[in-house]
Amino acid sequence: MNLYKYASPAMFYPLAGKLIPWFAIPAAILFATGMFVGFFIAPTDAQQGDAYRIIFIHVPAAWMGMLLYVLMAIYAGIGWAFNARLSSMMASSLAVTGAMFTAISLITGALWGKPTWGTWWVWDARMTSTLILMFLYMGFISLQAAIDDPRRADRAGAVLALVGVINVPIIYFSVQWWNTLHQGATIRILQKPTIRGSMLAALLIMLAACWLYSVAVVLIRLRCIILEREQNASRFAEAGA
Amino acid sequence: MNWPDLSMGKYAFYVWGSYLVSLILIVWEVVSLRLRKKALMQQPSSRPVSTPVLRGSVNETTS
Repeated sequence: MNLYKYASPAMFYPLAGKLIPWFAIPAAILFATGMFVGFFIAPTDAQQGDAYRIIFIHVPAAWMGMLLYVLMAIYAGIGWAFNARLSSMMASSLAVTGAMFTAISLITGALWGKPTWGTWWVWDARMTSTLILMFLYMGFISLQAAIDDPRRADRAGAVLALVGVINVPIIYFSVQWWNTLHQGATIRILQKPTIRGSMLAALLIMLAACWLYSVAVVLIRLRCIILEREQNASRFAEAGA
Repeated sequence: MNWPDLSMGKYAFYVWGSYLVSLILIVWEVVSLRLRKKALMQQPSSRPVSTPVLRGSVNETTS
């Protein structure tokens, strides 16, 4: 089977349409399951009370914000290096969802910070670097919107995405590198998690739901971008003819 | 299974506020995408992309 043919936007368009329900429906089921486990099974935290339940949306949103930025930078870089149109379109599609998840992590973080730290916001390393991530997303989206020629917009966006990707490890390691008000990581790949099993289960289910949701909406937006660019290309061709 | 206390131990505003904001943003994203798709499909020149764009090669991937 020749998978390379799906690098063509026209070939990928129908495939994306077929894939969307396979991600959207499990995402909805997992969101419901994660909420059920998070609110009905996970116990109240001894220190933070029920306020900790914000983590079931805050932490997956923060992880998705970082992950989608890395993916966006990779796709933008591939699009720039190999002049692959679909990769650049994918980067554009990822940006809005990544910005939305980063906005959710910032807002829910403020709503968590007030009852636990007594303040909505402090300029500590984790929160400031996450805010910078939000600005990078907004910059990428604005830059692409400001340039009429899609190919030039893709190249300019790729430069910004690739330069900005350095911010992602800074966000992740900020709680280790600097003394921050934000708590350290409670879940690490190589170490046993320090939270109860049901809390971890709710967190991971919500993460899976966010991931599946992201794939579904990114594919929907990608189909819109393909349609828009093909229509614009047709109009330019007609105008030039 | 524990039935959750809706007052969230006096943190209802923060907990439910977080989920409400998240829900609003997610619904906004989905609705705006549906409207964008609808607007695209209503344009006169709109047509579903179902065949390869033939500009030099059958499996064109680059601009």
